[in-house]
Amino acid sequence: MESAVLPVFLFVVAATGLAVGLLVLSALVGPSKNGKVKEMPYESGMDPIHDTHRRFDVRFYLVAIAFLVFDVELLFLYPWAVASRNPLGIDRAVSEGLVESRGLVFAEVLVFLALLAASFVYAWRKGVFRWR
Amino acid sequence: MDWESLMQPLILPLVKIALLIFIMMTAAAYLVLLERWIAAWVQDRKGPNRVGIPLTKIRMFGLGQPLADGLKFIFKEEYTPGHVEKVLYTLAPLSIMAAALAVFAVVPIGDVLPIELPGTSGPIQLIVAPHIDVGMIYIFALSSIAVYGVILGGWSSNNKYGFLGALRSSAQLIAYEIPLGLGILGVVLAAGSLRLDAIIYAQAETGLWNVFAQPLGFSVFVIAAFAEAARLPFDLPEAEQELIGGYHTEYAGMKLLLFLIAEFLHMVVAAFLIVILFLGGWHFWGMTVDASQPIGWPMAIARIAILAIKVLLVIVFFMMVRWSWPRFRFDQLMNLAWKVMLPLGLVNLVALTIAYEYEYVNDLDGTTRGLWIMVAVGWAVALVSWVLAAVFSPLHTDNRPRRDVTDAPEYEYEPETLRQILATGTQRASANGP
Repeated sequence: MESAVLPVFLFVVAATGLAVGLLVLSALVGPSKNGKVKEMPYESGMDPIHDTHRRFDVRFYLVAIAFLVFDVELLFLYPWAVASRNPLGIDRAVSEGLVESRGLVFAEVLVFLALLAASFVYAWRKGVFRWR
Repeated sequence: MDWESLMQPLILPLVKIALLIFIMMTAAAYLVLLERWIAAWVQDRKGPNRVGIPLTKIRMFGLGQPLADGLKFIFKEEYTPGHVEKVLYTLAPLSIMAAALAVFAVVPIGDVLPIELPGTSGPIQLIVAPHIDVGMIYIFALSSIAVYGVILGGWSSNNKYGFLGALRSSAQLIAYEIPLGLGILGVVLAAGSLRLDAIIYAQAETGLWNVFAQPLGFSVFVIAAFAEAARLPFDLPEAEQELIGGYHTEYAGMKLLLFLIAEFLHMVVAAFLIVILFLGGWHFWGMTVDASQPIGWPMAIARIAILAIKVLLVIVFFMMVRWSWPRFRFDQLMNLAWKVMLPLGLVNLVALTIAYEYEYVNDLDGTTRGLWIMVAVGWAVALVSWVLAAVFSPLHTDNRPRRDVTDAPEYEYEPETLRQILATGTQRASANGP
């Protein structure tokens, strides 16, 4: 009866507990004073003008979208990378008739990478990566 | 249920977790001291050298400094400013710290210890969660949570510096995650596993560390790891000369300390990953490696020591780099990520794909000839892409003023419009306005 993920959960709980414990400890033993100036945002001594939560530049969204596209495409490659040279991977799938041949899988991966490269070139030409 | 049946599933992981968290927190504290010593040495001044044992005159080269710093942080005021969003403001340091620590659940800090405990089977593996088969994906997932901590902190602070720092930081972190993933893919391909211990064994059994077979992947990974750890030359998120403290401008006391420890742990994780993925982990030449044979105490200790020394050397490298390079400009940073690192990573991946497939299909796997082919392909690709990069983006162009801004046709106001703007402070909507 050994769970693979139980230690990970325990670790996350312990790490969170440590962080919360440190905060609580510091709140208990530290001083507490407040003042009007102390409550202001620190902006180099200037009185802050208007709220911070305003619209920001669209290029950050562009980066986020480009990241989503490429990161998800990379995630698709991980199963293949693990299975490629693993005895329990593609070779076994071929011998059990799940996949037609090893060459076909390889060709598919190359096509996938070519698509990835093509989309990269397209995004580059469209100016997604230009930081103005 | 007696305690022996709880040994393997519960007690052993708990002991490992407690030990690992203790080691990592202590290491972080003393690595800060090491960093300050190195900083002092590079800048030709004396670093922290006073604090020793309190109430005595024993100074111990300043070895008491981390303890004093920790105590000071605990006795600082635990302050939440009035203008922040309180829940998110507290959640940000907690999440970034928990994520930074929890990464170590799948990171091996050695091989095994030859102890037989009642209720356990076989030697003890020096890894908290030894049966997680998706170790690299887990690390990836947790390192993405760091972005949440950063952007939550910056957004909830309600401070313009904090907000700008958070935007920059999140853009940088997600941009460099792609080259990071491309570098890891080559290693995963070579080892056929996502487990970090399996990746070490794959390198130890051939004796060929991945850095020799995949130099281009190594370079891409190391540069991306520097950016992910937000170390100089990629420390734009908190560029103190421009943004005060970046996303943690509004933080003080223990919450600030949590951010700082998390950043430090990111660097330690990056060093561990560089060593484990590319520098052979606990392997060194001359070591007999056979996973099926039990190892004795000397070998177990040697493997822990070798891994620790390698990680320490990489960390010292991180610290030396901090005092050797100036910071990138943000557009240079993004250009480097998208226009240099990503294509290089892709080229590396395609070359490795073809080379490993050739090696595997022709039954050269693990043979000397197969290893030589891999080394030759790896270095050829690295050399060619270096030459190409040098031709298309020569060094002297790197630091020139931004051409896309200076060359852009500037919009010039008509004199009439300009007069109107100066007079009224606004511009009337016009057909040729910007």
